[in-house]
Amino acid sequence: MTFLQALLYFTREASVNLIRGWKVSLLAILTITLSLFLTGSFFLVSSNLSQLTKTWRGESKVVVYFAPGTDSAARDRVRGEIAAAAWSGEVSEVSPEQAATRFRSAFPSLEDLLEGWGDEPLPASLEIQVDWSTVDGEAMRADLETLRTDPVVDMVDDDRDWLAQLETAVLLLRGLALVLGGVLLLTAVFTIASIIRLTAYLYHDEIAVQRLVGATEFFIRGPFYIEGLLQGLLGGTLAAASLALGHWLALRRGDGLLVSVLLERFLVPSQLLLLVTLGGLAGLFGAVASLRKESLGRTAEVPDGGWEEEV
Amino acid sequence: MIEFYQVTKRYPGGQLGLDDVSLQIPKGELVFLTGPSGAGKTTFLKLIYREEMASEGYILVNGRNVSNLPERKVPYLRRTIGVVFQSFRLIPRKTVFENVSYLPRVLGLDAKQQRKVAYDTLRRVGLAHRMNAFPMQLSGGEQQRVAIARALINRPDILLADEPTGNLDPELSEEILRLFLEINLEGTTVIFATHDRGLIRRVGRRVLTLEDAKLRRDEHLPGEMVPPAPRRRSEPEAPPDASPEMESAGLSEPVDADPIGAGA
Ligand SMILES: Nc1ncnc2c1ncn2[C@@H]1O[C@H](COP(=O)(O)OP(=O)(O)O)[C@@H](O)[C@H]1O
Ligand SMILES: [Mg+2]
Repeated sequence: MTFLQALLYFTREASVNLIRGWKVSLLAILTITLSLFLTGSFFLVSSNLSQLTKTWRGESKVVVYFAPGTDSAARDRVRGEIAAAAWSGEVSEVSPEQAATRFRSAFPSLEDLLEGWGDEPLPASLEIQVDWSTVDGEAMRADLETLRTDPVVDMVDDDRDWLAQLETAVLLLRGLALVLGGVLLLTAVFTIASIIRLTAYLYHDEIAVQRLVGATEFFIRGPFYIEGLLQGLLGGTLAAASLALGHWLALRRGDGLLVSVLLERFLVPSQLLLLVTLGGLAGLFGAVASLRKESLGRTAEVPDGGWEEEV
Repeated sequence: MIEFYQVTKRYPGGQLGLDDVSLQIPKGELVFLTGPSGAGKTTFLKLIYREEMASEGYILVNGRNVSNLPERKVPYLRRTIGVVFQSFRLIPRKTVFENVSYLPRVLGLDAKQQRKVAYDTLRRVGLAHRMNAFPMQLSGGEQQRVAIARALINRPDILLADEPTGNLDPELSEEILRLFLEINLEGTTVIFATHDRGLIRRVGRRVLTLEDAKLRRDEHLPGEMVPPAPRRRSEPEAPPDASPEMESAGLSEPVDADPIGAGA
């Protein structure tokens, strides 16, 4: 028998078993679905969040505010120092006038505020784009500290501080998803394992006969492995489908900023495929675990309750 | 060729299944195995196809030591041995066809070939018309014949039959006996365990008598029966199934029911 033939036969047997014991099968499938759905949801939210932080990171900058009255020579000196640093990208100077203009256009109603401060109501500043892909965090931090002690520098504003906090939160969420998903998946594996063991127990006599007429272990176990695999794949598919459905419903009904931020993009096909694969693997693993060693009833049967008693 | 060398089988719990048995059964022979209930007949057969392992001594089947055969090779040994189990051991949720054609499927025959060998073999036992029935729908005698068909399906070198007529009425018993003689004539070694002395007497041949797990006698008995009838190939299909009651009613000739030790 070729491998393909065997696979076909296994699949047929497994499908029959699945359908015949559909109640227990459904239990196994739903356990997998639940665990993968929750894992997937966490993953969905956390990947949207991390995408968001990436965007923010790309737009984030360091702003150095000069003390009032700093002359242009001092400003150029500081600018030169910053430009020489490896982490700095484009540096642009915002003069007090520009700052005031910006302020006026951003907050027209507060224009009066600026009037009382004389010539220089807002300090000049340097806006530094940061190339986050190549940045050496330690060196940058040290440079910013030095800048902060510079007498002409009033304040250094670093977006990274709060971005780092957000990233920690994303990381935490990811970790939680991983742990929770792992635990749930393990539960699913155990469920499938017990169900397969139950099936094997139900067909204990049958398996004994198959063995006695000369079937190999591969041939006997194959249908059970495929049964687990099918349960897992079905569970994974169901999880992917309910994620898509849930995502669609949430976007449709929820209008809050949070929803649109956290659920903006759905999982990409390869991630969905991973989910289904994970389900299949869990199912297969459950089947393998349940059929280890002697669990298929290899021991000899009870003595024949035969016909000796009859004459 | 089957050879036993001082074979002892001790079951867990100390029960002796076979005690120091040595003998040889040449290829192509038909041997009866008899003895009272609990004498060790089933044990003897189980040792040959490795359902049980000898505690002492060793067993050669076609020159190969069955006792130290690695587990993964056991299936291949079993494929060369057809076994009619004492309690049939048919798979209840599978049809007669599926039961009989399991090994051909394992061996990779395609569906058409499976159907053909199953049909041919079931014809030999007169059950071709019951191919799609489930075992539960069959009488005891029919189930027994399905079990025989399953044992014959792969044209085994060796055929082990554990009380294969135990559930059949005398007429059918004789038919089955004829079938076994016929298979034997085709070159298959046959070991036929039965406590039906009458049956043995009709055929003759070598008779091994077990008692209390020991081989008490190993003798050749003359038979009364004429050589096996020609194959029933040309004859029409077996008559429609009768219920077990009907089968056992109206027996043509009472067979000498003299099971050794029965009730003793
Ligand atoms: N699986 C078993 N466990 C323990 N004892 C057994 C087992 N099978 C058979 N025996 C014992 O071995 C002896 C021979 O049994 P068996 O081979 O079945 O005899 P027979 O087939 O001639 O009736 C009996 O005493 C029986 O009780
Ligand atoms: Mg017996």
